[in-house]
Amino acid sequence: MQRGFRLILAALILESAGAADDGWLYYGGDQGGRHYSDASQINTENVARLQVAWIFRSGDVETFGEEMENTSGQSTPILLPEVAGGSLVYCTPFNRIIALSPESGTRRWQFDPLIDHRGDRPFRCRGVSYAEELRVAADSHCRHRIYTATHDRRLWAVDAIDGTPCTDFGEYGFVQLFGEEGYVPGDVSTTSAPVVANGIVVVGSSVIDFTRLKTPRGTVNAYDSQSGELLWQFDPLPGAPDSGGANVWAPMSVDAANGLIYLPTGAPSPDYYGVHRPGNNLYANSVVAVELATGKVRWYFQHVRHDLWDYDSPAQPVLFTWRKDGQSVPALAQLTKQGFVFVFNRLTGEPLWEITQQPVPPSLIAGEQTAVTQPKPIAPPQLLDPNLTPDQAWGITPWDKKDCARQISELVNLGNFTPLSEQLTLMFPGSLGGANWGGGALLGDTGVLLVNINNVPFSGRLIPTLKNVSPADEKQDQPSAGQRMQVTMQGSGYTVDIGALQSSLGIPCNAPPWGKVVAVDLLRGRIDWEAPLGSVHELGPINSPFQINLGTPNLGGGIATAGGLFFIGATMDRLIRAYDTASGEVLWDFELPVDATATPMTYVYKGRQYVIINAGGHHMFNRGYGDYLFAFALADKK
Amino acid sequence: MKFCSLVCVFLATAMSSYAATITVRNESGSALAQVMVSRSLVEKAALNLSDDGYTPHAVSNQATTTVTRFTNAEGVVRFGDVPEAVTYRARAQGYVDVTFTRTDDDIVLAKMSAEQLIASYPSNVWLSQMTFGGDLELKKRFQLNCAFCHQQASVFMRNERTVEQWLGVFARMNGYGARLPVDEQERIAQLLQEEYRFLREHPQVVPQPRQWESHLSGVDMTEWPIGDGFSQMHDFLLHPNGNVYVGDNLFDRIYEVNPVSGKYTVYKVPHPEDARLGGILGNRFSVFPKMNNYMGVHSFAYSKKDGHIFITPSMQQALLEFNPDTKEFTTHWMPEGFYPHTIRIDQKDRVWFTLAVSSQVAMFDRSKEEFHFYDLPARSFKEWFIINALPLIFWLDPENRPIPDPDRAGTGLPMPYGIDIASDGIVWATRLYANDIARIDPETEEVTMIDFPYQGPRRLRVDADDNLWIVAFQDSLLVKYDPVNERFTAYDLPVINEIPYALNVDKDRGVVWVTGNQSDTLLSFDIETENWKVYPLPRQRFFTRDIEISAKDGAVYTTNSHFPTWQSEGGQPTLLRIAPLKEVVSGKAEQ
Repeated sequence: MQRGFRLILAALILESAGAADDGWLYYGGDQGGRHYSDASQINTENVARLQVAWIFRSGDVETFGEEMENTSGQSTPILLPEVAGGSLVYCTPFNRIIALSPESGTRRWQFDPLIDHRGDRPFRCRGVSYAEELRVAADSHCRHRIYTATHDRRLWAVDAIDGTPCTDFGEYGFVQLFGEEGYVPGDVSTTSAPVVANGIVVVGSSVIDFTRLKTPRGTVNAYDSQSGELLWQFDPLPGAPDSGGANVWAPMSVDAANGLIYLPTGAPSPDYYGVHRPGNNLYANSVVAVELATGKVRWYFQHVRHDLWDYDSPAQPVLFTWRKDGQSVPALAQLTKQGFVFVFNRLTGEPLWEITQQPVPPSLIAGEQTAVTQPKPIAPPQLLDPNLTPDQAWGITPWDKKDCARQISELVNLGNFTPLSEQLTLMFPGSLGGANWGGGALLGDTGVLLVNINNVPFSGRLIPTLKNVSPADEKQDQPSAGQRMQVTMQGSGYTVDIGALQSSLGIPCNAPPWGKVVAVDLLRGRIDWEAPLGSVHELGPINSPFQINLGTPNLGGGIATAGGLFFIGATMDRLIRAYDTASGEVLWDFELPVDATATPMTYVYKGRQYVIINAGGHHMFNRGYGDYLFAFALADKK
Repeated sequence: MKFCSLVCVFLATAMSSYAATITVRNESGSALAQVMVSRSLVEKAALNLSDDGYTPHAVSNQATTTVTRFTNAEGVVRFGDVPEAVTYRARAQGYVDVTFTRTDDDIVLAKMSAEQLIASYPSNVWLSQMTFGGDLELKKRFQLNCAFCHQQASVFMRNERTVEQWLGVFARMNGYGARLPVDEQERIAQLLQEEYRFLREHPQVVPQPRQWESHLSGVDMTEWPIGDGFSQMHDFLLHPNGNVYVGDNLFDRIYEVNPVSGKYTVYKVPHPEDARLGGILGNRFSVFPKMNNYMGVHSFAYSKKDGHIFITPSMQQALLEFNPDTKEFTTHWMPEGFYPHTIRIDQKDRVWFTLAVSSQVAMFDRSKEEFHFYDLPARSFKEWFIINALPLIFWLDPENRPIPDPDRAGTGLPMPYGIDIASDGIVWATRLYANDIARIDPETEEVTMIDFPYQGPRRLRVDADDNLWIVAFQDSLLVKYDPVNERFTAYDLPVINEIPYALNVDKDRGVVWVTGNQSDTLLSFDIETENWKVYPLPRQRFFTRDIEISAKDGAVYTTNSHFPTWQSEGGQPTLLRIAPLKEVVSGKAEQ
């Protein structure tokens, strides 16, 4: 009865979702993560005149002080339809939900779930979700709902109009996402927005997956969107009792009309050692098409077998229509950290580009049985070049170039999928390489996907460990910030040691750009253009007065618009940029108070197009923090 | 008690094995002929790999063999003495592989989709359509440099790459020793991108590979896995004592394989305490995590006088001698010469081998324990100067040595390569880059150079009539040289765009066997009838560098030495034997 009702609801919900052509109702722009807007008021001709329309500050800096050093503002707001209040809604790193006027940025309401701050895990919230609950009477409380999953493992439903909890959902507005194991502060959290469709809310999790052999399992939970009743669970590692993780931390996508949800699963635990988890470790490192109503697997594709590189599925699957040679196919593109783009018929899982089996090197770790081959699409090309030889070492002086050449020559380096051993090994791309949670932006119906790519090599090794070290005593700095990280994988007998491959001057050893935007034509299977993303002018011992666009590591994504523009922050230079989608030329940039490690969004409100971005800095990059939401618009609406 | 044990073993063996008859059909129920059926044991034998993942010195292990046979015209293949727990893989051209364990029902193969079919084609047919913009000389230069180690148009080479990514690949490969002309790399990168892209978008232009033929149901293929994905099983020797001696070029090991029992024993080649990795050449593979080639085991020959095995250690100025009875090694140090390469022993028990880098042929006189060197002429003053400067160059630390900067006209050195000895004692050697043949008369010490009218004379062999058989590598030809009439005859290979690396002659049966590295085949050529037969190999990317032939039954041996080996299907190097089925030899039954 309930399931049948949900199917009927689907069409209605879809209709209301589809009405917001110039809006931004979902985290990824639409339920398929296209990051695209039909809005074209801001375009290549006038973007240079874009200016600040308003700025909102959440107040987190004033409230939480030094605790902000363990945060990152990564939220992409959504714009609610007028019937749901018409607010611009987003979440802060501490999971406060704030609703703003889309025109002025003034606060309309806020909801604070008062999360548990214990544990060392950084605080992040990338977005919230909206749905109209048709089983609730029109004009009633919680007919229009906002859903958010919190740092401390609760799924909340609040009213979209006034921000108060929906008391018919779970226990006075929330359900606990943990089971009998209870809540362990910092163990598991949630960063991405839950997805809601056809009367069902689905939520993934974020698991620290490299500290011990068996971490918490990345079970995906689905709930009734009205009552919070648990409907089904998806186990990403069936038959693997000695491992954990494989969690879905990246945003999920939904094809509501066809009743499918697409789960991008992560690596099994621990990331860099797999003796205790022989085999391919299905469904880890996959995109899994699951029936939304039942949780049954329809099809799956595993892009890394027996992962030893932390190659999670990091990005939201991009759902689009493949139009080629007279064919029109419902398609899905999955971006990976390896820099591959796999394209499928999203109903059947049939690849739309042939997937080849790439032979890969074996492991030197006793008992480690690597997969003999790994999948690689025949096209498009890998979005970064994994070749790095001593001759290709880069430096700004002959001395640091020589230092890099020496370091590279001493690394084990057998190309893609070289497993870590007790010898220092090149990790290129590393776990922060290729695409990440920023995903890609599809340029309308052209089949061109715009992706921001990290292009900094790491090196790593496994150090035999006689005793397990307490996590508190370990060196857990961030490789992405130029430091080395050492973490004991409890129970494995090894400590993993990973760091950026850089010269004594702290400069990456490969040629720039170290971050870039790539326009990849999914239909033709080739790259149209590449352009550096990010300036290093603030990364030296002293700041440069001018931009040095060699690219920087980047987190967050971009959006494409019908105005021929690609807006993106994500960099370590505090800038938000607008690229010409045809050429890759930067047509506009604006310096924010702190880095914008988030994906922007855009909407048209009362005839004026706004571009919004959360500027909150980033803990992982050792950059400043903030609590800003910036809105940009043209002064004259033309 | 002993008798009882023997009886028990016999009974246990009899009870634990059976004969299997397998019938393979297509989805319409028609019998499928020439289906390759490979039988493997489910349980792998436990191996002692305690020496850094490898078999320790003088330790024996049992190889877990795989046997491959082909269905006959009725779609039937039979295996005798099948152990209890086995698994089969059926593979046929145009059909999707099937693995199975039960043989009581017919095995049904499903046809590949159009996409699967084209993707299944071997490297050579794809490569055949690469025109390099019409510059066939450039294509040959590419093949000469890039097909040294691995297949060129295998499925993972055809992936879309940017020009920059191709250039990155070239940089990596040149670091390993390839010499792709520097001034043409950009153009080659563009051509590879454009032409692979064109073939992907127009797969109908790619020709079908040669169809498997009925002679296959008369052979039996046995594989013995040895080493691992980091090994390189280069050359080897079929010894009169019945064992096969295989050299792991990257780990200074010799595998003594007993083809009857499947047992193998490993002997580590000794090296001086002060030897460095990569020997005097230096380590080109510093990025490899495992490498143990201080000597570089390359080519093998045995003495008909005492059965001792002589081995060329490419990375040293030396010649190795191995006594297969005592298992002792003797190292004969040379006063000169660089890169001992292919080796043969003449009727007077003199050991002859090419010196690939110093452009010489060396002779080791066992009776005097002396080396004699034949300098092959330089093609120019520059080449003469480089060859004579080699001692100085090798005196420098490997990191400080000048790196050759090859162009299309010259790759630096002539590179003596293959060698063989005729019944009249004349020594013949090819020079790969110089496109010529050296004739050495040991009695007069006269050296005569003969122009080879084709490109890439790689390995050569002498037949029963003292004709020379030579593979023209980048010209894709088998070439006969008649020394009496001084006449060359070229034969097209039976598969398109093959790049033949090595060959051997079955003198008793008048058959030339040629490696088919781009097409996953071995090729046999009947000298009298000039007919070819093609033998598909049981693993894709089965890159072979040497062939040995059993005089007794005409069985042919080869090894899988794709570099890197992990790129071979299954990632496991093997010694392979192709033998006629016993029943076929006796004429009793088909299988």
